[in-house]
Amino acid sequence: MSSGVLVRAGGARPARWLRRRRLFAGGLALPAFGWTAIFFIAPLVLLIAYSLGRIDIITFTVQWGWTTQSYSQVFQSLYLDAIARSLMLSVGATLACLIVGFPVAYYISLQRGRRQLILLVAIIVPFWTSFLVRTYAMTNILSYGWLGGGKLLDTPFAIGLGIFYSYLPLMILPLYVALERIDPSLRESAADLGAGAFSRLRRVIVPLAKPGIIAGCILVGVPSTGEYVIPSILGGGKVLMYGNVVADQFQSTGNYPFGAALSVTLMAALTIVVLVVRRAGGREVVA
Amino acid sequence: MKRPSGLAIITLLVLVFLFAPIIVVVLNAFNGNRTLDSWGGATGHWFSQAFHDPAVRSALWVSVRAALACTAISLAIAIPAALWARRAGPRARAVLDGTTYMRIVLPEVVAAAGLFLLFRRINFALGMPTIIAGHVVFTSAYATIILQARVATLTTTLEEAAADLGAGPWRRFRRVTLPLLRPAVIVAALLVFTFSMDDVVTSAFLSGDTVTLPVLIFGLMRFHVTPEVNAIAAGVTVLTLVTFSLSAALLGVRTGTSMVTGARASAAAT
Repeated sequence: MSSGVLVRAGGARPARWLRRRRLFAGGLALPAFGWTAIFFIAPLVLLIAYSLGRIDIITFTVQWGWTTQSYSQVFQSLYLDAIARSLMLSVGATLACLIVGFPVAYYISLQRGRRQLILLVAIIVPFWTSFLVRTYAMTNILSYGWLGGGKLLDTPFAIGLGIFYSYLPLMILPLYVALERIDPSLRESAADLGAGAFSRLRRVIVPLAKPGIIAGCILVGVPSTGEYVIPSILGGGKVLMYGNVVADQFQSTGNYPFGAALSVTLMAALTIVVLVVRRAGGREVVA
Repeated sequence: MKRPSGLAIITLLVLVFLFAPIIVVVLNAFNGNRTLDSWGGATGHWFSQAFHDPAVRSALWVSVRAALACTAISLAIAIPAALWARRAGPRARAVLDGTTYMRIVLPEVVAAAGLFLLFRRINFALGMPTIIAGHVVFTSAYATIILQARVATLTTTLEEAAADLGAGPWRRFRRVTLPLLRPAVIVAALLVFTFSMDDVVTSAFLSGDTVTLPVLIFGLMRFHVTPEVNAIAAGVTVLTLVTFSLSAALLGVRTGTSMVTGARASAAAT
C-alpha cells in the first residue's frame, strides 16, 4: 500500500491508471446488469403488462388494456384449490424440513475434522444429484408394495413427500452454516449456569441460529410454492399445484393474460412473505 | 465407545432416507424384471437400449452444448461482476445482490413464463439460443455468489503490486486476479454445468423443438416407471457424481465443500 502511494506521488502514470481503473470498473458490471435487465427484468415487466390485458376468445389474440379481469379469475374456485394446496404443501414441507433438518445440521456442526467433512459431502451429493432423478426416485420408492404399492402416488401426500425429500439439503446447509458459527463456549457457559438441554436449545442455540433458520425457510418455502416438476411427476397430472396451472396457460390453453396474472400474483405474494419474514428476523439476517 | 446420541441416530436415518431412493433407481436400472416388481437378475440391457436410442442421444448432445455455452457465458458475467462488487458503493452493491438473489429464489415457472412471452412477442424462434438465455439467468446468479464469496476473502495487495510493477489491467487480471480466483471459478463452472444439464422448467418453456435430455426424461417420467428411464436416470446420476468428484479432486474436498455450502448460505443471507 505504502509503495503504491509513493509511486503515485511520483508521476502521472499511476494517477491515470487509477482513473482508468474506475472507468473500467463501471463496465465490469455491464454484462451482469445487461443480462438481468434483458432476460429477467424485461420479461417480468412484460408479464405485468400481459396480466392487465385480456384475451379475445374468438381470435385468441391478446388485447392490451388496463383490466383486472385476469386477476379476478385467479381467485375463482376452480383455481383456488390449486392455490390452497400449493400453500399448504409448501408450508408443511418447509416445517417438516426445518424439524428434521435442524437436528441433523446441529449434529454435523458438533462434529470435527474428517467426520464433519464426510457428513457434509453426504448432504451435498444428493443436492448435486439431478432434481428430476430425485423426484423420479420417489416414484420408484412409492411404487413398492410395502409403501402402498403405488396407491400413494398421485396424491397430495406424495407431492409433499417429494418436496420434503428434494428440498431437505437446502434447509440443512444454511442451518449448518449458522450453527457452525456458534461459539461452543456459549453452550458450555449456559450448561454451567444450570440450563438443561432443552433450555440451552431454546434460549441459546435456536436464537443464534435464527439467520440460518430464516435462510433455510426462504430457500425451501419460496421455490417450492411454485413447484412444477414434483407435482407433474408425483401427482401424475391429477393433483395440480400453482406452477402447473401457470404452465398450462402458456403451454396448452394459450390464455397468456391469465397465466401472466397468475405469475404476477405469485410473485407479489412471495415478495411480501420474504419481506415480512426478513423484517421479523431482524437486521442480523442481512449478513 | 459411548452410546450414540439421539442426534446421531436422526442424522443416520436422514442420510438413509436421502440416499436409499437414489440407490433404488440405480439398482432398478440393472433389474432384469421389466415390471420392477421384484429382482429379476442383473442386466445391462436397459443401458444399451437407452444409449442406442437416437432421441436420447440427440437430447444429450443438445444438453451438453447448452450447458457448455451456459458455463462460458455465466463465468463471463459473474467474474467481472464479482470484481466490480468489491469496489462498488453500498447502494450499487445492494442492487447487484438483490437482483442476484431474486434470480435464484423466484419460482422458475414465473421467470420462464416471462421469457417465453418476451421471445414470443419479438417473434424470436425458440431453440438453443433461448434455452441458453434462460439458463444463464439463474446459473450466472449462482456463479456470482460463489465468486463474490471468494473475492471477499482477497486483499488487493497483490494486484496493486502488479500495477506498481507496470502490469496493465488485462495482464493484471490474467496473471494475478484470475489465478487467485481459480478454485471459485472451477466450483462455479461445475455447478453451472450441472444445473444447466439438470434444468427442466426453463427448458420446457423455451426449448421449442430442441429437446434437452431433462425435457425428454420428464416426458417419459410423467407416465411410467420403466427400466429404460431408470437406466437414463442412473446414467445422469453417474455423470453428476463425476462432476462432483472432479471438483473435489481438483480443489480438495474441504475447499469445494465449503464453497458450495457457503454459496448457498450466503445466497439466502444477502
